[in-house]
Amino acid sequence: MATADNGHYEVVWPRSERMTELRPLARRLDSLQGAKVAQLWDYLFRGDEVHAVLEAGLRERFPGIEFISWREFGNTHGEDEARVLAELPRRLQELGATAVISGMAC
Amino acid sequence: MTQATATSVGLGLPNLCRAMVPGHIDVQSKDELRANLLSVTLEQVIAGLTRQPAAAAAEPAIAPRAIVYAGDFDAINAHFYEQEWSDGLPVVPPTLARVEEFLRYTERKPDEVLGILLPDSRAATVWSIAVNGVMAGCRPEYMPVLVALIRAMADPEYGVEHSSNTPGAETLIMLNGPIIKQLGFNYEQGVMRDGFMPNTSVGRFWRLALRNMAGFLPHKTDKGTYGNTWRVVIAENEDALAEIGWPPSSVEMGFKAGENVVTIGRYTGGNLFAGVGGATPEEMLPYLADAVARQISWHVIFTIGMANGMLRPLLLITPILARQLAKAGWSRGDVKRYLFEHTKMPARRFNQLLNFGDWNNPGPWNIEDHVRLRKAPASFQESEDPDRLVPIVFDPEDFMLFVTGDPLRTNAYAFAPNGHLGFQVAQRIELPRDWDALLAAAQAGSRRL
Repeated sequence: MATADNGHYEVVWPRSERMTELRPLARRLDSLQGAKVAQLWDYLFRGDEVHAVLEAGLRERFPGIEFISWREFGNTHGEDEARVLAELPRRLQELGATAVISGMAC
Repeated sequence: MTQATATSVGLGLPNLCRAMVPGHIDVQSKDELRANLLSVTLEQVIAGLTRQPAAAAAEPAIAPRAIVYAGDFDAINAHFYEQEWSDGLPVVPPTLARVEEFLRYTERKPDEVLGILLPDSRAATVWSIAVNGVMAGCRPEYMPVLVALIRAMADPEYGVEHSSNTPGAETLIMLNGPIIKQLGFNYEQGVMRDGFMPNTSVGRFWRLALRNMAGFLPHKTDKGTYGNTWRVVIAENEDALAEIGWPPSSVEMGFKAGENVVTIGRYTGGNLFAGVGGATPEEMLPYLADAVARQISWHVIFTIGMANGMLRPLLLITPILARQLAKAGWSRGDVKRYLFEHTKMPARRFNQLLNFGDWNNPGPWNIEDHVRLRKAPASFQESEDPDRLVPIVFDPEDFMLFVTGDPLRTNAYAFAPNGHLGFQVAQRIELPRDWDALLAAAQAGSRRL
């Protein structure tokens, strides 16, 4: 019920429709044995050290696992971010990646 | 982690797998980091790559003209606050009538999509601009400015998706053209203060648009450590510029003098420089150069490293300072050349600042490599002397000058930019064909709702 002071308003939504469709995640690997893992880095938060430690840890757990260095792809957060990201599908396919680890954020 | 969860929704991947490093990497020794990675992060990485998460459901869309809520002023505001549609201040209830009134001031169709705004990937429609303009307390006749602002926000070169980054930089909106006076924007004393309806409400609109149209919410998609709140719009003093024969700032963004233009850029902060004295440019400019230089530190990673040549420091000067410089025959270009030569820093210090986040360990960026790879001009490596002075930008034209503020005070204000993460872009403000008549009617009060 409206009051004399506060009025009565019927209002619309201030947001708008999302324009992306939900994309199903790629099928997970049954195991990392024989996987080829691409490393992506935004050149922040010691990602080079993080990737190196994770790589060593994964090699110990999954002999035969391979890695594609973050150096192959370029900075995912630099001024060329749009180009680097746009080229990723092609580059990942060219290099035979079957999994990706992307970092870093805080 | 919360940001990753929230942001992935807008990318269409709400169940994207994430792994965490406990604590914060910046304060961990190498041994601590290694232990955390191997004891916590590694298992999460393995799980993320080998365990299929549950499928996600899409968010239902709401028709633009659908009534989502009804109630009195307090109930509307309580609901909007709960839904995270408001900035915490009372909003003007966006009724159909109010929104339709705004739409009279643009020839674009309400459902026209001006861009897709990250992180939510929402359509930036003319309709949603009007809705948020109503909420912000804008007047309907500000709509052309609002449309131009959202077109600028959607410009890929601006990089709206970076609006939530750690530095929490906030956008500064700069206005040029006859529309300044037509709509009553302040361009003189207190130009950065609230209290003038156009400057204040349009500034508020920007942040409501970032919230509702782009999807930036604190504690979710917005991770500014401290953040900044919205800034009031600043307008250039074009009377002063005409008097001294300097073109407006918008000309340097590629527009003709006399055009209505909004320019935006993100800045991490700034500072006033009080008391710029001197009767000649040679006496005055050292103060201005010092003001600019003191605002630039880690930001040089946008000159070399994270980006190259993308740093655009901004200096506001008052009309009296601009007049004094112009009287001596100095142009904007002359002032920028002076700033370029006199804001240099030692190469040793520049390289140290490129070790972003850790001065103790060399990172991936340094001057020598960038010059060798032709990613930076040779002027940065004129010798091997670590104490040689190097510029903070690639070119004198990278500096931006804006003439505004109290016309007779000898102060300047220097802003520190966020590089390509909110790069300076500009848009022409389009006016409807019957603008003069619409404006006259609006100002006569004949269309008040």
